[in-house]
This record gives sequence, C-alpha cells and structure tokens, in this order.
Amino acid sequence: MPFNARITMPAEARAGDIIEIRVLARHPMDRGGQSDGKGGIVPRKILNRLTATYAGEQVFRLDMNTGISANPFVSFTTRAVETGDIVFEWREDGGATYTRTSRLVVT
Amino acid sequence: MSSPISPRSGRPELPTRRAVVAGGAAAAAFAVLPARAQQGEPPQPLAELIARITEGAVPERGRIVLDIPQLVENGNSVDVRIRVESPMTEAEHVRWIHLIADKNPFPDMARFHLTPRAGRAEVATTLRLATSQTVTAVAALSDGSYVLADGNVVVTLSACIDGG
Repeated sequence: MPFNARITMPAEARAGDIIEIRVLARHPMDRGGQSDGKGGIVPRKILNRLTATYAGEQVFRLDMNTGISANPFVSFTTRAVETGDIVFEWREDGGATYTRTSRLVVT
Repeated sequence: MSSPISPRSGRPELPTRRAVVAGGAAAAAFAVLPARAQQGEPPQPLAELIARITEGAVPERGRIVLDIPQLVENGNSVDVRIRVESPMTEAEHVRWIHLIADKNPFPDMARFHLTPRAGRAEVATTLRLATSQTVTAVAALSDGSYVLADGNVVVTLSACIDGG
C-alpha cells in the first residue's frame, strides 16, 4: 500500500494563534513477528519518527515504536508565527523518508 | 484468562520460592544486560520502566491529564490524548511526553518532543495495546522535574494476535 497522509489544519491563522494540526498517515506499521501466511514472518517495518518543521525550526517530533497503531494518527499544536510551509517528514525503518508540506497563511 | 493466546498475554504468575532463590542469582547476571525490554523477556515492573526514562527521579502526579477510554473493544487502535498544564514559555515548558504500556512486548510506545513554539502542551495519537493494562504518560518539564498520569484500560480484543 503506498504511503499516503492526510494533514488537517487551518489554512490561515492570526499571528500568535495556537493551531491544532492533525496528521493521519496510511501505513501498516508492521510490528514484526506475524505470520505472512506462507510460512515466514513479516519483518518489522514501522514509521519510527515524524517531525514537523515550521519557520526554520523543528517544532514537533514524535518517536514511535511498535506500540503505535497501524495508520497512525497524531495531533499536536503550534503557534502561528509567519506565513510559510509546515514540512512533515516521516522516517521509516530501513531509512526511507516521506515528506509532505502544508501551507499556513498568517495574517 | 484461561487459555492465553501466547505465553506473554497471560497474567504473570507469582514466583515460587525456588524461582525467587534462583532469580536472585540470575538477577546479578542480568544486571549487566541493557535494560531495554526484548521480546521473550517477562514484563518489567512499571516502576522500573518509569525510573529508566526519568533517570531515577520519581515523577509527581498532577498537572497532567491522560485521556484514555476505560474499556476498548479493539486493542489495535486506542485513542489517547495527553494534556499538561504548562505555559509553554522558554523558561517553563514541557520537553517531552513519554507513553508506557507495561504489558506490551515493547513497553515504550512513543515519545512526543515539544518545544515552546507548541503554544500548548496537548498531543494525541492512536495506540496498540497487547492486553488489559495500565497506560502511563510521563512528561519531562524544563525545570528537570517529571509528572505522571496513568489510566487502567480493559481491552476485549487484544492487538498482537497473529493475522488479526
């Protein structure tokens, strides 16, 4: 299943407002050890990190382990400081990364 | 549970006298191993798990709220929300929030790293719970202290079932 992410946040905010950002990624988060139905086992493959970078600085980071569900949902907040892109980056076991951006207009 | 799905999913039995004596000797040998939980090891006591992430400090209760349902039908996805009372300024903020499920094969579930730019110390995610247990949230504050909240969760359908 290809990686896919849905980012829900306000498109614009006043400077100083605290906005909530909700992120839903599509990922099986294989914790490893299950049967693959063919006599083998599925290796561990999870998204182990999500970072959010906004206005030149990392504003949020989530380190995930196998205790996070498949299709992980994350909600966090940030203070609107300037118009710009919020960059979300997921890191997967094995080193693959996925990046999505979302624009916030600050008035 | 009369027929545990796997050896780990049952409640740990009380140790026998013989096991305690043997355990004392084994503990000395185990002490040099890394404290990280590995699959196949018996669940570590919660106090030990907390002490490891707080580097020995004892967290206080209060100023942190853990929102988690008391009864969940499906342990594969459990909504959890954590709020910490904090002004989130440079001088006083929450550094991180750590989630522990002591009966999961890997008890450390996640760590949220926050900065003063979060504005508010409030995060949410979805967890995977192997069995009915206590979920603990530990938050590290910028002054070096720790706060803790926990919640008992009854899970009717556990995660970690093969093919489930």
